[in-house]
Amino acid sequence: MLVVEDDDGIRTSLALALEDEGYDVDPHASGEDAFAAVSAHPPDLMLVDLMLGRMDGFTFIRSARTVSDAPVIVVSARDDTHDIVAALEAGADDYVTKPFVVKEVSARLRALMRRGRGGPINEQSGRRVVLDSGPPTLVLDMDAGRVTREATEVHLTVTEFRLLCELASPPDRVLSRQVLLDRVWDRGFFGDERIVDVHIRRLRTKVEREPGDPQIVVTVRGLGYRLHTGE
Amino acid sequence: MRSRWGLRATLTALFALGGVLLAGVMGLGTYGVARSYLLDQRERGTLRQAFADASYVRDGLLTSGRRVSDVLGAVSPPAESTVLVQRRGRWYSSSLDVGEAALPQALRSQVGEDSAWVQWASVGGVPSVLVRVPLPAAGAQFYEVTAADELQRTLHTLRTVLIGFAVAVMVAAAVLGRWAARRAVAPLDAVAGAAARIAGGRLDTRLPATEDPDLATFVGSFNTMVDALAERIERDARFTADVSHELRSPLTALLTSVDVLERRRDEMSARSAQVIDLVRADLDRFHRMLEDLLDLGRLDAGAPMRVVPGLDAVELVRQTLLDSGRSAALLEDPGQPLLVDVDKQQMARALRNLFDNADRHGGGLTRVSVSQEGLAGHHPKVIVCVDDQGRGVPPEDRERIFDRFHRDGSRGSLPGAGLGLSLVSETLQAHAGVVWCMANDWRGARFVVQLPASSAHAAGES
Repeated sequence: MLVVEDDDGIRTSLALALEDEGYDVDPHASGEDAFAAVSAHPPDLMLVDLMLGRMDGFTFIRSARTVSDAPVIVVSARDDTHDIVAALEAGADDYVTKPFVVKEVSARLRALMRRGRGGPINEQSGRRVVLDSGPPTLVLDMDAGRVTREATEVHLTVTEFRLLCELASPPDRVLSRQVLLDRVWDRGFFGDERIVDVHIRRLRTKVEREPGDPQIVVTVRGLGYRLHTGE
Repeated sequence: MRSRWGLRATLTALFALGGVLLAGVMGLGTYGVARSYLLDQRERGTLRQAFADASYVRDGLLTSGRRVSDVLGAVSPPAESTVLVQRRGRWYSSSLDVGEAALPQALRSQVGEDSAWVQWASVGGVPSVLVRVPLPAAGAQFYEVTAADELQRTLHTLRTVLIGFAVAVMVAAAVLGRWAARRAVAPLDAVAGAAARIAGGRLDTRLPATEDPDLATFVGSFNTMVDALAERIERDARFTADVSHELRSPLTALLTSVDVLERRRDEMSARSAQVIDLVRADLDRFHRMLEDLLDLGRLDAGAPMRVVPGLDAVELVRQTLLDSGRSAALLEDPGQPLLVDVDKQQMARALRNLFDNADRHGGGLTRVSVSQEGLAGHHPKVIVCVDDQGRGVPPEDRERIFDRFHRDGSRGSLPGAGLGLSLVSETLQAHAGVVWCMANDWRGARFVVQLPASSAHAAGES
């Protein structure tokens, strides 16, 4: 996994602690170095501080997203609401705020690594779900771990894909934000529901024909979200 | 007088006094002029009449053979007048009611004087005009007494009207005074309102600019003062925020490093392990304190809350208990969801601080209950009671314990930054709620959290 953190103390101690947890840690002090590393060897996980030097965390996440679908956890020294939402919109999957404890970070990492792409989603796995009967047809293939529009693959991050799978097993069922937060991010009662909202928004821009007027991932006012299939 | 009366009352009274004085002086003047004019008119009229009558009587008396009483009978003075004639020491009167006794003694004795006069006197309680006309040719004195009671009535009416007028002027002046006082005090009311808002934490409050040259200077200095105050407070808050932000990174590095060390406890000597435990304990305390500070800073800065509408307070309490490693059995479940509109993370921190406080200072948390007070549609409240079994909080300390860094002297040795309860109080304030401390039935302390019940519930949740 990749760790981008400009504070020497945190970077070193975090690398040691995460190595103790069994991760293979590749620490970097600047966004530029880290981006070079990501391009060369795409990591399975990224832990990124938002306050970096010249290349800030947001820019790094956006660039890293062009080459990697791996889960990104943001470390925010500023638990400023705007920063967190902006980071999530840039492509981050979850966040921790300073000061944090290692337990917290590893819990977030575990949640996002828990079920990788193509792994068994639940008993309902092995299904193909037609999201949009088209044309063009949009199909979620849980076994292959991908979403295709006609023949081309729609590029989803690991977390976006898992979110879509949760919504699709089975489809046409309302899931509250709390439930989604719990299942995809393993956040308990006190999780931040904005994480779900931002991911739903990101998902819509990729699967909907008109993200402003969603037909597939539908909001059910006051209750949560529902996947409307084209079948 | 000013100190006991308000400015408004004083001004009103002064206006009323001024009004009544003015009206009184004017009324008295009017009355005096009107009275002397009327009396003068009356005197002239009476005099004219008297001379006419006197001349008639003289002619009658000079006609030989006629008796005085006959002459008087032939005179026909107006109804309110009586003619008296004195001749050779005897008195004759044209009326049975009025005799010579009506004339003042002093006048009657001036028999010898041959001068005519006119004079006012009270006859039978009625102010009257007395006119004497000597009739030397007939060897008699002619008197005419004219009652002026209708003049009396006129003057009485005039007096009444003027007094009524004075009273009306006084009332009008008082009303005017009250209005003027209110106008004069209105800017002060605005200042008081602004000051109250500023004291309530709305530091962006300023007095509106005014065209009034009397007020402009005042408004200017007031606003300058608030600017300076706000800047100072902001600087202090920014300093605290900056310091706590700067502390985060080193604290995170420390926490993580100690974590790494703790994993290697087995490789350490007993002494080293003991030291690590000490460091860990104080580091945790530091961590909590910093989080409280950061939260307080956020509340001070008025950072937006992430309110979850219609959150079940019972579940919130249960999850907070579980999250802080306590037993959910401490919760006295009301058996139904009680909904509130709160930022769940913030409210959870506040509740957790109350639980920690009970454990640290109150001999242990014994019970948490959630209930609802008030009917739907009457601003119902959700109440959370947190009970402990300690020695309670003395009544005089029950407000102070919510101050920042307040510490009871006897509890000074126990860990706790003294920030926790102030965070609770400020979080509740931000949620339009309130927290207070009282004694419970077990002589311990009870912290009562009161929040407005969710309006989403009343509207019927979709």
